[in-house]
Amino acid sequence: MPVWIDPDKCNGCHSSRQPPCLRMCPGDLIVKDHAVNKAYLKYPEDCWDCLPCIKVCPEEAIEFHLSYQFGSSGAKLAPHIHKTRDFITWEAEDIEGKKEEFTIRTKVMQIALDESVEDGPQGPDFSI
Amino acid sequence: MIERQLVETDILIIGGGTAGCMAAVEAKEQFPQYKVTILEKAHIDRSGCLAGGMNAINAYLNKGETPESFVRYVRSDSCGLIREDLVQSMSELFEYCVKKVEKWGLPILSDDNGDYIPRGRWNIKINGESLKPILSRAARSAGAKVYNWLVVTNLLTEGDRVSGAVGFSLRNGKFYVVKAKAVLIATGGAAGLYRPNNAGDASHKTWYSPYNTGAGYAMGIRAGAEMTSYEMRYVALRTKDAIAPTGTIALGAGAPQVNAKGERFMVSRYADLGGDGAPTPYRAHGPVQEIKEGRGPVYLDTRGIGPEKVKELKKAYLDMYPSQVLYWLANDIDPDKEPVEVQTTEPYIVGGHCQAGYWVDLNRRTTLKGLYAAGDVAGGAPFKFVSGCWAEGVIAARAMGEDISKMALLAPSDAQIDAEEKRAFNPLKNRERGKRGIPPADLEARLQKVMEQYAGGASTYYEMNQEMLTIARKKLATLPGEVNDVVANDLHQLMKAHEVIDRIDVAQVLVEHLAYRRETRWPTYQSRTDYPERDDVNWLKFVNSVKDRESGTIKMMTRPYEQIVPGDRYRP
Ligand SMILES: Cc1cc2nc3c(=O)[nH]c(=O)nc-3n(C[C@H](O)[C@H](O)[C@H](O)COP(=O)(O)OP(=O)(O)OC[C@H]3O[C@@H](n4cnc5c(N)ncnc54)[C@H](O)[C@@H]3O)c2cc1C
Ligand code: SF4
Ligand code: SF4
Repeated sequence: MPVWIDPDKCNGCHSSRQPPCLRMCPGDLIVKDHAVNKAYLKYPEDCWDCLPCIKVCPEEAIEFHLSYQFGSSGAKLAPHIHKTRDFITWEAEDIEGKKEEFTIRTKVMQIALDESVEDGPQGPDFSI
Repeated sequence: MIERQLVETDILIIGGGTAGCMAAVEAKEQFPQYKVTILEKAHIDRSGCLAGGMNAINAYLNKGETPESFVRYVRSDSCGLIREDLVQSMSELFEYCVKKVEKWGLPILSDDNGDYIPRGRWNIKINGESLKPILSRAARSAGAKVYNWLVVTNLLTEGDRVSGAVGFSLRNGKFYVVKAKAVLIATGGAAGLYRPNNAGDASHKTWYSPYNTGAGYAMGIRAGAEMTSYEMRYVALRTKDAIAPTGTIALGAGAPQVNAKGERFMVSRYADLGGDGAPTPYRAHGPVQEIKEGRGPVYLDTRGIGPEKVKELKKAYLDMYPSQVLYWLANDIDPDKEPVEVQTTEPYIVGGHCQAGYWVDLNRRTTLKGLYAAGDVAGGAPFKFVSGCWAEGVIAARAMGEDISKMALLAPSDAQIDAEEKRAFNPLKNRERGKRGIPPADLEARLQKVMEQYAGGASTYYEMNQEMLTIARKKLATLPGEVNDVVANDLHQLMKAHEVIDRIDVAQVLVEHLAYRRETRWPTYQSRTDYPERDDVNWLKFVNSVKDRESGTIKMMTRPYEQIVPGDRYRP
C-alpha cells in the first residue's frame, strides 16, 4: 500500500465534494465516501508514488508507505508545507529510528477545499 | 442516453502537461483574440510527468554553449541520427521558456553573479516540487479554458484535415464534441507497453508516468498521421526498485557505474565511446551486458561522496522522486557507505528522450492539416526534457496562431459523431448488455506479455530478431478485434479501457518499426540480434509509417536524414 489515508485524521475536507487529495491525483485513484465523509485510495495497485495527494491534504492525514516488497515498514517520510508556502520541510526517520529533516525552497500554490466540475453534476454519486 | 456537450474553440490543446500549458500561455499572449481550450484527463494542477515534481531542467545552454554545440551533442548522443532542424529550433527557445517559468515563481538555483548553477553540461538545478501547479496557474491566468478529467478518445477529421476531438468526462459522464480550427496534441509518451519492472501494488511504480499511455500517438495513428522512429525506444537506467532517475546521482555526485567486481566497465569496455560519458543508449546497454554476462549487480559508485553530498542527493530526490529517499530510509542505505544499485526499465516510447512520435515540420505541424504536435508525443527531436517540451509548445502555438486565419470551423458529420460516441462508450455498454467481456487489466496483461517476450522486453535483455517480431506481429493482430469485448463497470474503468486500447494501436506500429530497421543503431533501445551492427550505408535515415484509415494496413517508408551542423556525427 503506497499511500494510506488515516481515517482518524481525514475530515473529508468538511462538505467538499471533491477534496484536494482526490483532485490532485494524476491517476484519479482517490475517492471520497460521502456516507462517512472520508477519502480513501480506491486503486492502490495503480499508485505512482508521486505524492501530490499528501502535499495538498490540509489535515496531513495521508501517510507515505513503501510497498512492502521494497523493504520493511517503520521508516517515515512526511512533507510539511510552511505557512508562507515558500518552503517545504520533509521529516524523515529511518528504520533504526534515526531522524533527519530537509527544508527545501518551493512555491506552493493555494488550493481550494473544493472545486466544481465543468458542465455539471459532481462525480462520485453520478452513475451512468 | 448519453448526454452530449458541444464545445467550440479556435485553438484546442489536448493534454495540459508541460508542452500543453506552455503552448496555451504563448497562444493567449500572442493571439489574445483567439479562444484557447485545454482538455486534460486528470487535473491540470498535477497531471502528467511533472505531477511529482522536477529537480533539474535537463536541456539548457549553459555559458559557452550554442544551438550548434547542442545539436552536435544531441546528435552524437543519439548515435548520429536526429532531425537537426527540430533540435536546433527548440534549443533557440530554452532561454525564453526558462526565464518565463522563473518569472512565474519557479526557484532556479543561481550563483552570486546571478548565473544559473549547472548540473552537468546541459542541465541547471531547480526546486521544482511545484513546477506543475506553477505552469497550470500560468495557463489559466493567461485565459485558457481548462476542462479537467476529460479523457480524449479520438480526433475528428474531415478528409485530411483535423477538425476537433471527442472524449468523455470522468466526472459527469458526458460525451464531449469539441470543434476547433487548430488542434495541438501534447499528451506525452507511452508507458505500459511492456511489462513493468515491479509487480503487485508497485506495478505502477514506473519511471515514466503510468497515466501517459500513448493516447496522442494512438489518435494520430488512427487518423492516418505519419509517425517516425518508434523503433528508438527508451530504456532508462534507474535506481533499483525505486526506479528513480539516475542523472541526479551520476551528474549530481559524479558517481561512475561499477559492476559486482567493482570494475568501471564503462571505462574498460566503452572507452572509445566516451566511458561514463558514452551516448545514453550505451549507458543503458553497458549495464545490461554486465548483468547478462554474469557480472551484475551494477551500481553507481557513491562510496565516499561524504554526508554533505548525500544530503544534497536526498534533497534533490525529494523535489522529484521522494520514494527514493523512503527506500533508503527503509532499507538502511547510506549512499556514502554503499553504492547505489541500478537497473534498466521496461521500454517506453518517449519522444522527449528518444525520438518516437509524430513526423512534424519545423513549425511542429503534423502531416494532417490543422494538427500540431509538441513535447514527448512529437518525433525527431530527442533530448527535449521539460525545456524542449516548452519550446515545442511555443513553436506550435505561434504556428497555430499564424495558420488559423486560413482555417474555418468545420462541422463534423452526425455519422462521425455517432460512431465516435459508440466507440468511446462501448466498454460501458458491454456491461449494460450483461457481457462477461474482457476486463481492461486482462487485455493489458495480454499486450504486455506479447511485447515482453517477442518484442525485446527486459527479460530477453531487450534483444529481438525477425522471427520474434513476426510472432509479436501475429499475436498483436488478434487484439484489435477483441477490443470490442472490453468491459468497464464505471467511468474510471472506461478510462482504463481506453488506455489499453490506445496502447495496442501504438504497439502494432512499434513492432512494424522494430522489424523494418535492419541494423542496430541504438543498442538496447533497439537491439537486433540478426543485424547487430550499425549500417550507415543503408540506414542513415528515418523509418516512418502511416496506417491506412480504410484498410488498417501499416505502410512503412523512409525519410532522408539531413546534416545541418557540420562535423563528425559521432563526436559531441
Ligand atoms: C519521473 C520523471 C522525472 C523527470 N525529471 C526530469 C527533470 O528533472 N528535468 C527535465 O528536464 N525533465 C525531466 N523529465 C522529463 C520531462 O518531464 C518530460 O519529458 C516532459 O515533462 C514531457 O512533457 P509533455 O508535455 O510531453 O508530457 P506531460 O507533461 O506528461 O503532459 C501530457 C499530458 O497529457 C495528458 N493526457 C494524456 N492522455 C490524455 C488523454 N487521452 N486525454 C486528455 N489528456 C491526456 C496527461 O494527463 C498530461 O497532463 C522527467 C520525467 C519523468 C517521468
Ligand atoms: S485532503 Fe486530506 S482531509 Fe481532505 S479529504 Fe483528502 S485525506 Fe481527507
Ligand atoms: S501518490 Fe500520486 S498516484 Fe498515488 S494516490 Fe497519491 S497522488 Fe495518486
